Amino acid sequence: MDTGQPILELHGITKRFPGLTANDAIDLTVRQGEVHAICGENGAGKSTLMKILYGLYQPDEGTISVRGQEVKIAGPSKAVSLGIGMVHQHFMLIPRLTVTENIILGQEPRRGPALKLEDGIARVAELCKQYGFSLNPRAAVGELSVGEQQRVEILKVLYRGAEILILDEPTAVLVPQEVRELFVNLANLRREGKTIIFISHKLDEVLAIADRVTVIRRGKVVGTVDAAATTKAQLAEMMVGRPVLLNLDRVEVRPGEPLLEINDLTVDTSGRAALKNVSFSVRAGEIYGIAGVEGNGQSELVEAIIGLRAMKGGDVRIDGRSIRGLTIKAIRDLGVGLIPEDRHKHGLVLPMSVAENSILGFQREKRFRRGGGLDYRGIEDFTAGLVRQFDIRLAGTDVPAHALSGGNQQKVILAREFSRSPKVLVAAQPTRGLDIGASEFVRNQILAAKRAGQAVLLVSADLEEVMSLSDRIGVIYNGEIVAELAGRAATAEELGLYMTGSRRAAQGGR
Amino acid sequence: MVWTALLIAAAVRMTIPILLTALGATFSERSGVVNIGLEGMMIAGTFWGAFGALKGGPLFGFFLAMVAGMVLALVHAVVSIRFKVDQVVSGTAINILAAGLARFFSIMIFHMATTSPKVNAFAKISIPLLKDIPGLGPMFTDLSPVIIVAFILVPVSAYVLNRTVFGLRLRSVGENPLAADTLGINVYLMRYAGVLISGAFAGLAGAFLAVEHTGSYIEGQTGGRGFIALAAMIFGNWTPGGALAASLLFGLAQAVTLRVQIPGIPYQFIQMLPYLLTIAVLAGFVRKAVGPAADGIPYEREGE
Amino acid sequence: MKRERLFWLQVATPFIAILFAFLIGAVIVVAIGKNPLYVFGTMLAFAFGQIDSLGLILFRATPYIFTGLSVAIGFQLGLFNIGAESQYKVGLFTAAVVGYSFPGLPAIIHIPLTILAGVAGGMLWGLLPIVLKLKRGVHEVISTIMLNYTAVSLLHYLLTGPFLDQNQIGATQRIMRTKFIADSARIPTVHGLTKLLHIPLPNYVHLNYMFFIGIALCAAIYWLIWKTPFGYELRAVAGNQAAAQAAGINVKRTMFITFMLSAGIAGLAGLSEMMTSYGYMSVDFPSGYGFTGIAVALLGKNNPFGVILAALLFGFLERGAEGIQVIAGVPQEVITILQGIIILSVVVAYSILSRYIRIQKKKEAA
Repeated sequence: MDTGQPILELHGITKRFPGLTANDAIDLTVRQGEVHAICGENGAGKSTLMKILYGLYQPDEGTISVRGQEVKIAGPSKAVSLGIGMVHQHFMLIPRLTVTENIILGQEPRRGPALKLEDGIARVAELCKQYGFSLNPRAAVGELSVGEQQRVEILKVLYRGAEILILDEPTAVLVPQEVRELFVNLANLRREGKTIIFISHKLDEVLAIADRVTVIRRGKVVGTVDAAATTKAQLAEMMVGRPVLLNLDRVEVRPGEPLLEINDLTVDTSGRAALKNVSFSVRAGEIYGIAGVEGNGQSELVEAIIGLRAMKGGDVRIDGRSIRGLTIKAIRDLGVGLIPEDRHKHGLVLPMSVAENSILGFQREKRFRRGGGLDYRGIEDFTAGLVRQFDIRLAGTDVPAHALSGGNQQKVILAREFSRSPKVLVAAQPTRGLDIGASEFVRNQILAAKRAGQAVLLVSADLEEVMSLSDRIGVIYNGEIVAELAGRAATAEELGLYMTGSRRAAQGGR
Repeated sequence: MVWTALLIAAAVRMTIPILLTALGATFSERSGVVNIGLEGMMIAGTFWGAFGALKGGPLFGFFLAMVAGMVLALVHAVVSIRFKVDQVVSGTAINILAAGLARFFSIMIFHMATTSPKVNAFAKISIPLLKDIPGLGPMFTDLSPVIIVAFILVPVSAYVLNRTVFGLRLRSVGENPLAADTLGINVYLMRYAGVLISGAFAGLAGAFLAVEHTGSYIEGQTGGRGFIALAAMIFGNWTPGGALAASLLFGLAQAVTLRVQIPGIPYQFIQMLPYLLTIAVLAGFVRKAVGPAADGIPYEREGE
Repeated sequence: MKRERLFWLQVATPFIAILFAFLIGAVIVVAIGKNPLYVFGTMLAFAFGQIDSLGLILFRATPYIFTGLSVAIGFQLGLFNIGAESQYKVGLFTAAVVGYSFPGLPAIIHIPLTILAGVAGGMLWGLLPIVLKLKRGVHEVISTIMLNYTAVSLLHYLLTGPFLDQNQIGATQRIMRTKFIADSARIPTVHGLTKLLHIPLPNYVHLNYMFFIGIALCAAIYWLIWKTPFGYELRAVAGNQAAAQAAGINVKRTMFITFMLSAGIAGLAGLSEMMTSYGYMSVDFPSGYGFTGIAVALLGKNNPFGVILAALLFGFLERGAEGIQVIAGVPQEVITILQGIIILSVVVAYSILSRYIRIQKKKEAA
């Protein structure tokens, strides 16, 4: 097929779920040999569309044509046979198996029922050489770095003869250096005649790598433009439908006493050190942002402060009180509020109602008791107040939490934690998975916490968010704070270098 | 306690039902399905093994037992894989069902609730040369051929799990079913296969108990071996070789309860030994046994 | 979805499942050459048509209320207390010993004391599995099953050895049992009440106040789980252990208390018979209540009031089984099979229902 000819055409693709139309009459044309980016907010319908292309979902309406032929993609094996390969955002790898086993799974070289593992290893080595990847075919996937694991994912689709590669948010977990490596690999792939569909909401990258960009909003295609002919602002506007304020109102507050002190904190995880002698402090009325790529110890830091993880060495002090030896409840009672990284795991009991979730952790307080039991009417009133204050959209407070949207779920958590007027607020990835409206709301709430005199620890993989909100930024890399910068003065490039360990601040450089 | 060859021989015989069931359990759990119902499948194996042996000789008995185990396994598979019912609940229901069915069929067919008539076992074999070793000879004489088969099944199982395409896919499904699904592997089919294999093995184990070991069906003769086998599988770290080692340990414990009397200790306490040993093994486990990552979690494809 | 519709759906589901099980039962009946309508008709007439049957149904249901409640409480937290089967036996033993050990006590003290001894015995036997689970991660299914077998041996030793009643005067054959419990430890039957209400309940029906204690206990547990802070913590841990822990709830303590509650309640299951008709604990005391308790808990969806209904159902099935064996010549074991099929069809039905509800609720909130 000649470069430039349509290799993939979608007409009128519609997909409905109970209560939601994820894709609404989508038309899309991808040309052979191009890098075509698909942009949209969370929940816009990008993932659904890609899952349809890969055969994991069936469209309710519409047609798909590959190389001019109309096709029905009933399942992943059909997609593969058409030369479509999907590299998922959340890797579909099996840690306990080796690189080769992961790659050949499902299309194993075999003699009858027997597995020809050596043949597989040879083929993997061959592919690595052809595309310039460097991987050990015999290594267990669980021991690889994130960037390496992604290469295994890409090899998986190349092994199956993919001509069209779909990459779903591939840079979400990569450091700037690894992103550059990925782009080099993608360039190699394009040189070898592959077509690449690149899903992302990171506009810098999109403009750097793509030939054309299609924007999807609320399930519909807003438009397709040439990358060279558009700007970030224009794309953002297409994505959201209104101009996005990428700069927030910075509030000036005089910081008070340190309410959160981390002293020489050392924390282990699965036999290795996740945090090494980390020290910093956050004062009342201050937002301290932790910048860093996920996996450098941020999660362990948050867990240690809350009490979910044991401290091997060092200490954490809340308003002067040490948390050593305290139970999680005691730590919370000292005045620590938590917006957890994973709201479904640590933030909410999904089967319980919104009202019950709003008192999670505080169920024994006198004001919620009546006689020997719980005062449900009082709890409902309390929750209704929170719903009003935080503008939470729901049918009633007895709706189970799992029925709420991600944004509203986060609001429930926020409302609950704020209602305690904590001294220290730990916000871990607070806008992950939220659309622009909800993210704005959350960020404003964090600023409100600062105004209220709380000490806010903001842990976020969203560099722009950290830079917009923080008074001071600590960059975490490999379990250490490698630099501390004033929020205003920091630039993305500088932070990126610290985040990848490419530079370290001079000793005592705070 | 005297370490005679007779004791070892008895231990080996006691090992076989546990070993077979543990091997089968490995396939089921590596594919991600917990099978608590193995006891019930063994019970079915004891009954139908005896019945089959009566009607058509021991080979037919083993065949029928295997089928019976697989039928119950199919029920467990459908309920827990297709309907996503909690696997422990489903397994427990199978156990209750199997006990009732065994009694019912026993009354219907044998007109006795708890036992069957005596059945004929396979002709015993003795291993030439080894049987003549002085002192150790009894270990190699008059063996049921099923014992040999069971031991052979260990390396066979290891080969199937580690060196065949089926085995690789089975293991993948137990670790990350979503990943396997996206690669076009039929998760449900693999899990059905794992569960059916475990049912077949458990049926064989039951048949061995009834036909080869005891000589008839007796209600309750499984005595919890289905659960002990699970403990053996865990102790053996979900591998066939490990299952063999662990099963030998438990087999020895059971042989001891039968053949050993210690003056001063009432026999009931010796009876408790295998069960307490199981608990001790599970509790005293030094290394953290890590099972298949998706073990016990029903798989559901999004968007369906 | 309207609350009403939701409620009726949830109530109807087990009925449909039971109906389905009976259909299969009918097939089995046909297979053995009997008329299913006749057989089931006989069953109903026998069970409901006679006063003694009605009393016996309640009497038979009593142990199942306790073991069912016990298992149900554990299930709420995902704890599989298969050990109810041995916890009730150990409870029986401790209660019997307390029952005969204090002959001079007034009944008003002795009866509650004996009951508490039953609770203590159950809790004692439940201690090891939960401790092993919390400290060593041992799955309670296997440890409790192992203890079931261990208890059989242990109790056999105790009842044929140190605790055997040596003075069995006038007995042709010695029963392997404890001494008789004192009269002051016997719980009164309901005949006092039935005479007052002019209900002609025959004397051989030993329905007693343990039945009402069971019902009251179910109500109390319902209140505990759904209306108290502890119950909230239980449900939070059951719903999302990680979130509950992050919020400061002591997960291990919650599990421990719940399991002890479960084991203690199981310890009461045999008392209804022991403190009336039997008067002692023996090697031949009825076995299997624990397993039926599992079925009752599943059928009752782990809800205390569902447990009561399910226990009554099984009481009915048992009484009916006697009837069909004697009158229609169908072996009792058909009922055991029926129980197994009921469990399976009910859990499948519940699974289908809950997924249907989840989809409906998602539609609405969007």
